[in-house]
Amino acid sequence: MSTGSTTEAPGILRSPSGATRHWLISVVSVIGGLVVWQMAAAFIIRDPVLLPTPVETILVLVRYLNSPYPSAGETLIGHSLISLGRVVAGFAIGSFIGVAIGAMMAGFRSFRAVVDPFIEITRPLPPLAFVPVLIVWFGIGEAPKIILIAAGVVPVMAISTAAGLDGIPREMLNCARCLGASEWYTMIHVRIRAAMPQIITGMRLSMGLSWTSIVAVEMIAATAGLGFVILQAGQFLDTSLIFAGILIIALLGLGLDACLRRLQRHLDPTMKP
Amino acid sequence: MGVSQHENGLQPAQSTQSGASGVPAEPAVSVSGISKTFWRDGQPTKALHDIHLGIAPGEFVCLLGPSGCGKSTLLHIVAGFIAPDEGEIAAHGGRVTGPGVDRCVLFQSPTLFPWLTSRDNVLFGPRSRGMDNEEMRSRADALLATVGLEDFKDHYPHQLSGGMRHRAALARALINRPRILLMDEPFAALDAITREQMQNFLLDLWQRERMTVLFVTHDVEEAALLSDRVCIMSPRPGRIVDIVDIELARPRDEALRDTAEFVTLRRGLRERLADA
Repeated sequence: MSTGSTTEAPGILRSPSGATRHWLISVVSVIGGLVVWQMAAAFIIRDPVLLPTPVETILVLVRYLNSPYPSAGETLIGHSLISLGRVVAGFAIGSFIGVAIGAMMAGFRSFRAVVDPFIEITRPLPPLAFVPVLIVWFGIGEAPKIILIAAGVVPVMAISTAAGLDGIPREMLNCARCLGASEWYTMIHVRIRAAMPQIITGMRLSMGLSWTSIVAVEMIAATAGLGFVILQAGQFLDTSLIFAGILIIALLGLGLDACLRRLQRHLDPTMKP
Repeated sequence: MGVSQHENGLQPAQSTQSGASGVPAEPAVSVSGISKTFWRDGQPTKALHDIHLGIAPGEFVCLLGPSGCGKSTLLHIVAGFIAPDEGEIAAHGGRVTGPGVDRCVLFQSPTLFPWLTSRDNVLFGPRSRGMDNEEMRSRADALLATVGLEDFKDHYPHQLSGGMRHRAALARALINRPRILLMDEPFAALDAITREQMQNFLLDLWQRERMTVLFVTHDVEEAALLSDRVCIMSPRPGRIVDIVDIELARPRDEALRDTAEFVTLRRGLRERLADA
């Protein structure tokens, strides 16, 4: 902390607010991490097959953005779009079904008793375990891939939707009713509206989960997609391409999460100061 | 002086048999033979037993009693949130079967919708009934000004202080022009200073609007200050054991709290509550 010296630092650095300070520390931490990685790869490991440097990774990433991999396949942009399409499709279908199930769980006690055990059983299962059976059931097209992603999303969305709807105080619903709102209007404009922040939190969690299962999904006879690139590159010990694929998944995941966070801030005014 | 000098000349109903005078005196609220039992783990708890109560239009009635005496349950039954096991409720002659715009409830917590600004909260009632027009919007602004929130129209509930939230909730209730206001310990969670402010504010408001109020409280001073009549309730089973007319001159204000008359009355109420 440079106290009192007012000449050298621009305003924002002199008195950073809590949020700015947090952000600055995070940026420094990421840069620090990259430097450590670069040092470790270049001076300690010194074997690009074991650990490529971040610089190599970025160079490979940029190279394949416009040239196909494998030679008869897609560019990295093409692979990214294919994976993105699968994740978004599975996520959307899974969210829709999950919200519907969650709403029914909150509405009907007996329905909750029926689905609860299934949700509890499926939640901890690894998506990889379902790959063979999904191939048997749905073949090797797009359907099993999207179903696998959706299957991971449904329980998370059902639980967070039900929790969101349960958490609304009885008084708030009574209040809406005595202000003149119909049951239906109260359901849409109070119950579901009040549960929205929690539903979006569920969406952020399950969006992360969808990306987590992309590699498993693309083990299903895929010929394109980031998971496919990573698996393929692994077989040829092209470690820097593996890292490039991981990097893209991380960036896409961050980007989609940023969209959801924005939506959440928009829907939940208590997140504003 | 006191209770019987209302502008419409109505005698406040002592029971459901009101309207003995020549005026078409339909009670604003009539509670006849209400009983309610709650079951928990197979054990019955008799919350209310054979309650009779008539409230005249424009009357301010308090239900006073210790916690657990069923006073909130009674208010929720009048509001239409829960159905009684026995007995009937009527509001302005119509049988109560569910919540209605004519009977607005204010709770202990302001229950503002956190995703709406003060102004949108106030407009919730009209909007939910498809009445989002210029008239309602200007009425909302006028009400917000009445409750002293004209500078906080676009603030969200979490940006308001506790007292402000209650005043916003009051404005939200008043926009529907309810003939009956049901208040369920509305100021119990506030600090002493804010609570006194809100009580004074409510006195002023009632003086101007003269709506019928049923007010639940466990605070003897609050009951004495605000009401025309205090119904003292006792628990297990909840029943009205005593009805006290508060014959203090209206309009009342803050200064009343320190008068000998008020202190005597408050002591009297407290003793009758202890006997209950």
